[in-house]
Amino acid sequence: MAPIIKRKVPAPDHVELWVHSPALAGATPGQFAHVVTQGMLRRPISFSRLDVDTGNAAILFQVVGTGTRWLANQEVGTVLDILGPLGRGFPVPDAHRPWCLVGGGVGIPPLLAAASQWTGAAQTRPAAILGARSDSLVLLEEEFRQLGHEVWVTTDDGSRGTRGTVIGPLARWLAKNPQGQVYACGPTAMLSAVVAISGQRGDVWLALEQRMGCGVGACLACVVFGNGPEGPGYRRVCTDGPVFSREELIFP
Amino acid sequence: MNLAVSLPRGLELKNPIIAASGTFGFGPEYASLVDMSMLGGISVKGLSPDPWPGNPPPRVWETPMGLLNSIGLQNHGVEVFCQQDLPFLRDIGTRIIANIIGHTVDEYRQVAARLSREPGIDALEVNISCPNIKEGGMSFGQDPDQAAQVMAAVRLETDLPVMVKISPNTTYPVEIAEAVENSGADMISAINTLVGMAIDVKHRRPALGGITGGLSGPALKPIALRIVYEVAQAVKIPIVGMGGISSAVDVVEFLMAGASAVMVGTVTFQYPRRMQEIVAELPEIIKELGFDRLQDVVGSALPGKSNAAHVMEEECQLPRPNGRVL
Ligand SMILES: Cc1cc2nc3c(=O)[nH]c(=O)nc-3n(C[C@H](O)[C@H](O)[C@H](O)COP(=O)(O)OP(=O)(O)OC[C@H]3O[C@@H](n4cnc5c(N)ncnc54)[C@H](O)[C@@H]3O)c2cc1C
Ligand SMILES: Cc1cc2nc3c(=O)[nH]c(=O)nc-3n(C[C@H](O)[C@H](O)[C@H](O)COP(=O)(O)O)c2cc1C
Ligand code: FES
Repeated sequence: MAPIIKRKVPAPDHVELWVHSPALAGATPGQFAHVVTQGMLRRPISFSRLDVDTGNAAILFQVVGTGTRWLANQEVGTVLDILGPLGRGFPVPDAHRPWCLVGGGVGIPPLLAAASQWTGAAQTRPAAILGARSDSLVLLEEEFRQLGHEVWVTTDDGSRGTRGTVIGPLARWLAKNPQGQVYACGPTAMLSAVVAISGQRGDVWLALEQRMGCGVGACLACVVFGNGPEGPGYRRVCTDGPVFSREELIFP
Repeated sequence: MNLAVSLPRGLELKNPIIAASGTFGFGPEYASLVDMSMLGGISVKGLSPDPWPGNPPPRVWETPMGLLNSIGLQNHGVEVFCQQDLPFLRDIGTRIIANIIGHTVDEYRQVAARLSREPGIDALEVNISCPNIKEGGMSFGQDPDQAAQVMAAVRLETDLPVMVKISPNTTYPVEIAEAVENSGADMISAINTLVGMAIDVKHRRPALGGITGGLSGPALKPIALRIVYEVAQAVKIPIVGMGGISSAVDVVEFLMAGASAVMVGTVTFQYPRRMQEIVAELPEIIKELGFDRLQDVVGSALPGKSNAAHVMEEECQLPRPNGRVL
């Protein structure tokens, strides 16, 4: 049970809700909250901020359907029914090697949770490559700048930053840092392009989305095709992921 | 109030609430959220002789008051189950029902034989909603003869209590229930999901990777109740009812329609603790409705047993259940 303590609208049709819940605040970045909204199923949403000291956590989501619309209308004081933290989050990067975060749209929020925890230990300046459809939808750019990241912004229509996708800046970053560590979250097409451009270079981690039932590994609804301990097969996004290494996934 | 249920071949449940197959995994997944010793039993995910890969995603799609799934009976096979999952299940203090699946009569037989050699399994549930690949792919559950053949083959391999899970995807579920009763079933579980589909309009294609899927959840409940009510009048063996149960009152409906126990599935995804809550609420609700014993509720709405005039008279004398929507 997590009461909403703060609500913000960072972009049109995007809402960030802070809740007080020490259990959720202890999550690993990349893990997710499974939230009761409306309908038969909970909605999986990643954490955008995690603060163990205050016991507060936040989720940042786009309004796309019935559940997120309901959630977007909740006010401070409403108590949310959240299961979590669930899933396997991002592994902490090797602080001695460069790392970069690649986010598209609502794939950006979980990367902020990661950046907030990891930046202090980084031996080289981390990079954040943020992509969006247009200017007003670029999420959390200021937060990454304040953390001291080298920030690259791309938009599909060129209304802000470089016109194009995150893949251009990522290719340049990888050329300079072939041993780098890449953490990516965004639409499947973007993730598949990240894998393709990275080739065999560096370490690449990807946070995936899939439609879920239980969220705890019981129903086998949320699968993606990948390489498991027993060879190629379906893997569960809710418990084997949502974060997978490049080598664990097989993109069609 | 004692909620214990006695079923054939010595199957004793501490209460009538069982986790439905496919919605509760193999137990450990929900261990940190649910006190499994509070449940009457757990029916595990369907088990085949060899691993089945399942269908391509997406595998679930929400519908109004319902859920479509096309998991495709993914499971890692009965052997891995016995070695990897069963040791955990033996110690959790509830009845373990192994749900079995196959593509041929012989596959069902093999799984039943393997499970009957293992301690810790209290009953088998035969899911006859699988396609029979030797008979053109129609499901066993749509043909009384094929359903009976499966049950007869399983019966030869096991002394465990066996329930056959019937499908709503047939015109006369009663005929299937009668056929499996005659070939040795100890119980009927009813019902499995109803075949349906949804269209993903954004991508102009069927929403599920498996094209069609099984409908579960509250949308299914009226159909499930109707089938339980019909089957209860046709067979002598006990019925385990299910389909869309999400509250203690829903459970009472199934009991009154003739079920001796129930299974609870889809609601667990949203509220993992709902089964426990139902167990806790059930005695009071049964009492409020004027029953002293759980057994008296079973079948109380069946023809010849229900008495509308009597109930209405009683209602005037009963204290109003405080604000509860019955
Ligand atoms: C691990 C994970 C983390 C996520 N993190 C975020 C996040 O930080 N911010 C954010 O905006 N979104 C995130 N999503 C996507 C988010 O879950 C969906 O946008 C949301 O479920 C849509 O719900 P709805 O009721 O508004 O949409 P509807 O279309 O009405 O939902 C219908 C059903 O489809 C499911 N569904 C629809 N879209 C998705 C999707 N993209 N992924 C999974 N299930 C979906 C819903 O959960 C629901 O069961 C994440 C998804 C996953 C799997
Ligand atoms: C995701 C999912 C998986 C299921 N898997 C199985 C299965 O493996 N074997 C089986 O007999 N029934 C399976 N079922 C059917 C349920 O056991 C139950 O009959 C049905 O969902 C109706 O109950 P409910 O509305 O309470 O969920 C599954 C249902 C769902 C939703
Ligand atoms: S959502 Fe049920 S297994 Fe992942």
